[in-house]
Amino acid sequence: MADIVRKQMVAVEGATVRERLQAMDDSAVVTAFLGGEERAFSELVTRYQTRLLNFVYRTIGDREKAEDLVQEVFIRVYRHLHRFDRSKKFSTWVYTIASNLAKNELRNRSRNPLVLFQTVQKNFQDEDRPLQFEDPNSRPDDMYRKRHLREIVEESVAKLPEHHRNVFILRELEGKSYEEIAEITDCNLGTVKSRLNRARNSFAEIIAPYVD
Amino acid sequence: MDCREFCDKHVAFVDDTLAGIELVRMQRHIAECESCAKHDARVRRALLIFRNLPPIELSAGFSQRLEARLLRECHGEDFLATTQRNLRRGAIAATLASAAMLGYIATTLYHSDSPRDLVMPPVVASLPEPELTPITTSTPAIVASVSAGLTIWPAALFAEQVPTRFAHSKLELANYTR
Repeated sequence: MADIVRKQMVAVEGATVRERLQAMDDSAVVTAFLGGEERAFSELVTRYQTRLLNFVYRTIGDREKAEDLVQEVFIRVYRHLHRFDRSKKFSTWVYTIASNLAKNELRNRSRNPLVLFQTVQKNFQDEDRPLQFEDPNSRPDDMYRKRHLREIVEESVAKLPEHHRNVFILRELEGKSYEEIAEITDCNLGTVKSRLNRARNSFAEIIAPYVD
Repeated sequence: MDCREFCDKHVAFVDDTLAGIELVRMQRHIAECESCAKHDARVRRALLIFRNLPPIELSAGFSQRLEARLLRECHGEDFLATTQRNLRRGAIAATLASAAMLGYIATTLYHSDSPRDLVMPPVVASLPEPELTPITTSTPAIVASVSAGLTIWPAALFAEQVPTRFAHSKLELANYTR
């Protein structure tokens, strides 16, 4: 009986900690983790995993590799969190790590034609995968149109030059401010605005024939 | 406002970060310029499509894989920390042992009865009296009169023996006919 009560107490205490962590901002969660609260790291993972996956996937265009890179981001965060300058935003730091890993991946691909071929082949095979993101209640022709549009959009983004694409995704998908993008991409504000302008214009031009 | 200025400020216009007056100027330009209005509409439509792209979801095994990797990371770290701690302890122990050994050797050598170096009486050396050999060279007047080739060695010898020869009042004539 005493054991059951103790287990319940622990569960309640655990739930309270988790709720308290959920209510905290990133900086406080980081402080909690560095103070020895291991569950704080899970909270950080929960907050960022999907956002990072989308960011990396839109940047490199390979879903499986994107997941690997997101895992690598979290491993690096875990390893180096004690060195993180807490006067800065945690999200900017995480996105900087993710952006650098994505950049390295693209660089490796361009150097290694075999990797590029495997990626292209994988994407080609993905054509046969079941529809995952569309509403299953939609009509088949509607689903086809949506999927087709999604592919066109993804292809159009992939056609943007790497440094334009990075800025474009951070702004349009992640909603980062110009200042944050400048910090993540290690550019000045003027360069960020100029790249964003060019990326928007190029993207609009590429996609125009399909949507007009 | 001209089209160039419109394009330059279009990013801020789309993001709605322009100041009030600039915003009004941009809107007025759109109303007047069909080409810029078209460009603006095209960009906004494209962005709307991109922003509404369905998000990618994580695969089922993602969390487990990450957990396993983090666990490995933790264990790796623990193992590394333990190894480093053990190495540090080993190093300290080895240093202490070396110091003890050196101390022992030094003490043993200091107190040992090994034969010391023999002390010899100091050697007193005295300079022997220089043997005064009879001068074999001629007087300066004779040296000056002989040919250049023959005077080299007697002159050198003479110069060497100057202190003794000049102190010696008795000079002899060289016998060239020997």
